[in-house]
Order: sequence, then structure tokens, then C-alpha cells
Amino acid sequence: MEVENQTFSMNKQKKVSRKLKRLQFMIERDTGTSCNQTATQNLVICNAGLVNGLSQEILYEHFSKHGSVIDIRLVPGKSYCFVSFSNVDSAINAYNEFNGKLKICQDNKPMYLLYIQVLPEVNSLYMWDKLPLGLILCDDFITSDEESTLLELCNFNTELIGIMKNRLVKHFGYEFRYDINNVDKTKPLNETIPCECNFLWKRLSDSDVKSGFKDFNPDQLTVNHYSPGQGIPHHIDTHSAFEDPIICLSLGSPVVMEFKNQDKHVCVLLPRRSLLIMSEESRYAWSHGIVPRKFDVIKNDSVTGYTSLKRGTRVSFTFRKILNGECKCNYKEKCDSGNNKQALENSVASKLEKLHVHEIYQNIAHHFSDTRHKPWPNVLKFIQSLDMGSIVIDVGCGNGKYLGNKDIYDIGCDYSSQLVSICKFRGYEVCVADCLKIPLRDDIADAALSIAVIHHLANEMRRLEALKEIVRVLKVGGKALIYVWAHEQIKNEEKSSYLKQDRKNRKKIDISDNSPSNIETIILPDGCVSFPVHTNRKEFKAQDVLVPWKLKDENKSTFLRYYHVFDEDELVTMCKKLSNVRIETSYYDQGNVCVILEKIQ
Amino acid sequence: MKLLTHNMLTSKCIRGVNVGYPLSINASDVRVADVDFNPDFISRMIPKIDWPVLYNAVERLGHVEDLPKETPVNYESNEDFLKKAHHALLEVEIIHGELVCPESGRKFPINNGIPNMLLNEDEI
Repeated sequence: MEVENQTFSMNKQKKVSRKLKRLQFMIERDTGTSCNQTATQNLVICNAGLVNGLSQEILYEHFSKHGSVIDIRLVPGKSYCFVSFSNVDSAINAYNEFNGKLKICQDNKPMYLLYIQVLPEVNSLYMWDKLPLGLILCDDFITSDEESTLLELCNFNTELIGIMKNRLVKHFGYEFRYDINNVDKTKPLNETIPCECNFLWKRLSDSDVKSGFKDFNPDQLTVNHYSPGQGIPHHIDTHSAFEDPIICLSLGSPVVMEFKNQDKHVCVLLPRRSLLIMSEESRYAWSHGIVPRKFDVIKNDSVTGYTSLKRGTRVSFTFRKILNGECKCNYKEKCDSGNNKQALENSVASKLEKLHVHEIYQNIAHHFSDTRHKPWPNVLKFIQSLDMGSIVIDVGCGNGKYLGNKDIYDIGCDYSSQLVSICKFRGYEVCVADCLKIPLRDDIADAALSIAVIHHLANEMRRLEALKEIVRVLKVGGKALIYVWAHEQIKNEEKSSYLKQDRKNRKKIDISDNSPSNIETIILPDGCVSFPVHTNRKEFKAQDVLVPWKLKDENKSTFLRYYHVFDEDELVTMCKKLSNVRIETSYYDQGNVCVILEKIQ
Repeated sequence: MKLLTHNMLTSKCIRGVNVGYPLSINASDVRVADVDFNPDFISRMIPKIDWPVLYNAVERLGHVEDLPKETPVNYESNEDFLKKAHHALLEVEIIHGELVCPESGRKFPINNGIPNMLLNEDEI
């Protein structure tokens, strides 16, 4: 987006005028409106539009410098668009400065302008006036004093604000889990919705808004803190998770929320202190989201047409009522109820593992290896209990911390070729392999190790597959030792060694973490998934998390590894699903959940 | 990669492959390393391995020397035999080359002594 200031050479002028003729012909043919040789207040941007990534915000930013913009028409699927000024002089100024010079699009080519008599009637992408069915906006629903009271309820750590890339989130009543886009209805949080919010429902009931909301009695609240520039990806609140309606209070700053349903695209300005009710079609069939940007362009009914609105810090309170039973909506194509989709699909899980496990270990292999030298005593004890001449497979061997034992034949495998190379350099026998596809014959290993591996698999089916694969290569009577990271990092008042590594935590202080989570959205080819980013050396606030690894390089690069941390009985429950094993023992060891299995047939 | 490892490797995880064993070897760099001899360890290893597969592998690599085609009776007390088995199982190493699936012909590269057994998405 830069303006070139040199004047055109003769040659270039000829080229430009030929180009303009072609564009003019195309636009006249498409819209049936003729272009003008003399200046008007209306401009066509001939070679920039929605198809090459132009947005009304970018257009407004540049054109509003020359006067009051009263109309912007972006045409879906077209590489041209229209801008109107309130007077001809503004249009002339914009024409002179931008024509053949302003590079505004993704392809970084200069734009070409033409004058046009009237703006053609086109199906513009954005609609402003017609709200989706069931969407109700109540302006000035609360007073400034009430706004302040509510903002004080949720003290966001101001140090975090501004350095975090993503919005901050805090839950009351039930935790909303971004991995499964649902709540665990069996696990209410200790913190319920603060009673300071109760007046809202009385007020809603007393208002002249539809009677259907008189009994609204939410039990789940999500507070989102958006700094300017932050947004939320488009989503429909999971049908099976919540009832109708969903109610959202905007505090601190206005914002434009976008609603989409098929090819319809509606922008709604949510003023500060307004209450938004999403019910019926708008709750079940329309997705909503906030584009991450620092200002919004707003269309209003006055003569000025478009104005821009700088975003401030916005806090939203979204109130929802947990749904018990099945969703009974009439929007089946958008409904998840009944198919019980609690887990990530395999294709999504495997792509997530590729990006947030495999590629990360490739990148951090050397630094990771430098921090992994002290073997865990109970793992060593297991290895030392094996007979001479045992064949042992270490599935997910990392840097080979448990390889190279005397009098046994141990083979390591790992998905990361970088880590495997480190093992080879240390003289160990290794191969690069996937723990879901161990390249060994059935029934050949006397023992298997899976230390801190299975928690990197992103759905339960895959974690179970990994266990099955280990059991497959074991011979009958062979044993496997499985370690996975525990959700619970404090057991019997004793902090795990992981927590103790933070010096502050060695003293008797509270390691509980009530601060809001930083939610990271991962964009995958089939859609996006979001997880909270774990704060190192703190308790886990969710079971599916991204754990940061900070390299000690110049850039202090941070990598986010995906983990599913295990609840107390979860590993044993999974092992019981395998018919051919006996659980020899299960225990908790320094923040890990562990089992020893024996293959019995 | 040692031939004891090769004795256990399979490509059966490829979709449509049933046994995937034994993997044939194309080696471009084979080295012999000294490994401490432990007769007890080797005699415990013998019943766990597929002897003909080991024999064919060393033969293919040109290191068969006078390794017997079959394991002799009472091999536990036959130190001469155990030394030859030790050599074949632990001392002959493939540094560069490839392993080939007997059913699908899929090749797995071996570089710097490390076989890469990862499969592509469309193979699983």
C-alpha cells in the first residue's frame, strides 16, 4: 500500500489508457452503467475488489483522506468496486492522487480509476440494516456505574494485556472447552456467575423485549477481554452445549460484530453498554465473529455515509444456559446434537499433531535434549528389573534418556528425526517411526516404554490406538511402562517436581491459577481449533492445552506443544478397554499418571 | 542399523500389506564395529530371532563368513558359534541404503545408520 509519485512516461501513459479502455468496457458490460469522461463524485476502482483481498476498511482508510465517503460498494466475486464522495472535488483529488499509483491490493499492483455517472445497483457483500432473524439489540441496557461494577468483577492481569496476541478469557459456572467446543456438564466450576449480574435478568424481564426471555436464567458466563486489534473467529455456539438464547453484554468499547449465513453477511455495531440477544435463527444458523483490527468502518444513515470508529478495550459478558438433553432446533445441518461429537476428528487430530507436536520437536530437539538428562528413578527401576537379553522398545524415545542399557537390547523410535539423530550420535539403536505405526513384528518385545508420549495424541481414539500398538509388539508375558502427564499437579498436598522447578513454588504458596486463559486458535485445512495456552509451572486449567517451549536463542522463539493431560483414572480406564492386558500396577509419580501393563494373551 | 534390529522390522503398517516381513536390504555402506561379546546375552537372544532371516541378511551384505545356515544343537555351550552369531547380530551395521517392503515394494531409506520408517498419509 504505497503511492508512487513519479510521473508517467509517454509509453506508460499509452499503456495505461489502453488498460483503462479494457476495464471500462468490462464494467459497462457487467453493470449496464456508463463511465464518464468528465469528473463526477463517483469512482470505480477498476482492478481492485473483493477477489483480490480489498476490504472496506482499507478503502475507507485511503479515500476518506480526500473527503467524506458516502458509499462503498464491494461486489462479491469481482475485481472492481465503487466509492462515492459527497462532492466532485473530493473525487477529483482522490483520482489525481491514486490513479495508476496506489497499491492497495494483495497483488501489489497499482489501482486504476474511472468516473461513473451513478453507482450501479449491486448486491453488496455487507448488509447493515437487516438484522438476522431472532437477533435483538438493546442499546444503553446498563448505566455507566453498572458497567464499572461489572468490569471490576473480573480483574484481568493488566501486565498480560498488551503483550498477549490473543484475547483473554475467563469462565464462570462451567468451563467452555475450546478443544471440543463444548462444556463438561459433569464438572461445574467453583466460581458461579457473580450475583452482581442478577439485576440484568430482572431488567430484561421488565423491558418490552419479547416475553420469551422472561425466564432466562443463565448458569454459564464467559468473559472475553479484547484489546484493540483482537477478534474472535467466526463460530456458532455449539447447539448441544447451550439453550436458546445466548446473551452478550458489551462493555468498555463498541465493536462491529459480523454475522454470516450462507452468502449473507450482516455487520452489526454493538455499542458500549448494549445487550445483544441471539435467539432462534440468529443463535442456531448464523455464525458470528469479530474481525481482528484496530478500527471498524461503520455505515450510518446520516449523509456522511461511512465513518470509522477506533476500537478501545472491550470486555464482553456472554451469558448462556447449559442445555440438558438433546438440542431441539430446526437447523439440523448446523446441529451437532445426537452425534455426540466430543472428540476431534482423526484428520483434524493428525494435522494438529503434525503442526503442534512433530514439527515443534524438530525445531526444539537440541535445546530439548540439553534439558533431558536425568532419568526418572521409577522408570530406571522398571528397566533394571528386566532379564538379561530382554528386547525392549522405547516408543517415543526422545533424546535416548532411557536407551543404551547394559545386558538388554533396546531399540528407540521417535517421530522426530532430529531427536533420533541425537540418539544415534550417542551410539543407540534407533529408527524414525510413528507411535501409531510401530514398524516391528507382533509379539517380539519383552518390554516396552512409552514415557511422556501418548499425551501428545489429540483424541482418545488415537491414544487408545497407541496403547494397542505397544501391546501388539509385546510378547505374551511382556510388560509395558506408560507415563503420561497428569492433569492434577498436586497430590496429597505435595507439589510435583514440575511445579517445584519454579523456585517460588518450593515455598508453601498457592500455585492455583485464577488468571484468565490466553486462547490460541490454530488454523487447520479443515477448520480451526482453539486451546488455552498453559502457564508453565502452574496447575493445568484444562485437559487439552498448548504448552509453550521457549528456546534460548536470540529471538527467544516460543513453540506451542499440544498436550492432553490425564485425569487420575483416565489412563487405567483406557487400559481396561484392552482385552489382552492385565494392569499390574498404576501410580502417580511426580505429576505423571503411570501404569505397568502385562500382555496376557 | 544392526541386523538384530532388521530381524524385527516390518512394513506391515502400510495399508494393504499383510506381513511385510522380512524387509529386503539394499546397502551402499556397511561397516563392522567392535561390540563387547557376552555369550550369555547372545544365547538368550538366539531363540527370539528368526535365524533364516538373519542368515539371508548377512549373506546379502557379503558378511556371511562361516555362519551356519541353521542354529546348532546345544548352541548355548558353543562359544565359537555364539561369537559368529554375535558378529552377525551386533557388529555388522548398515550405514546407508534402503529397506524394501516385500509386498508393496515401498522403500524405506537408511541414512547415517537410521532407518526412516514413517509412512505417508495415503499409506495408512
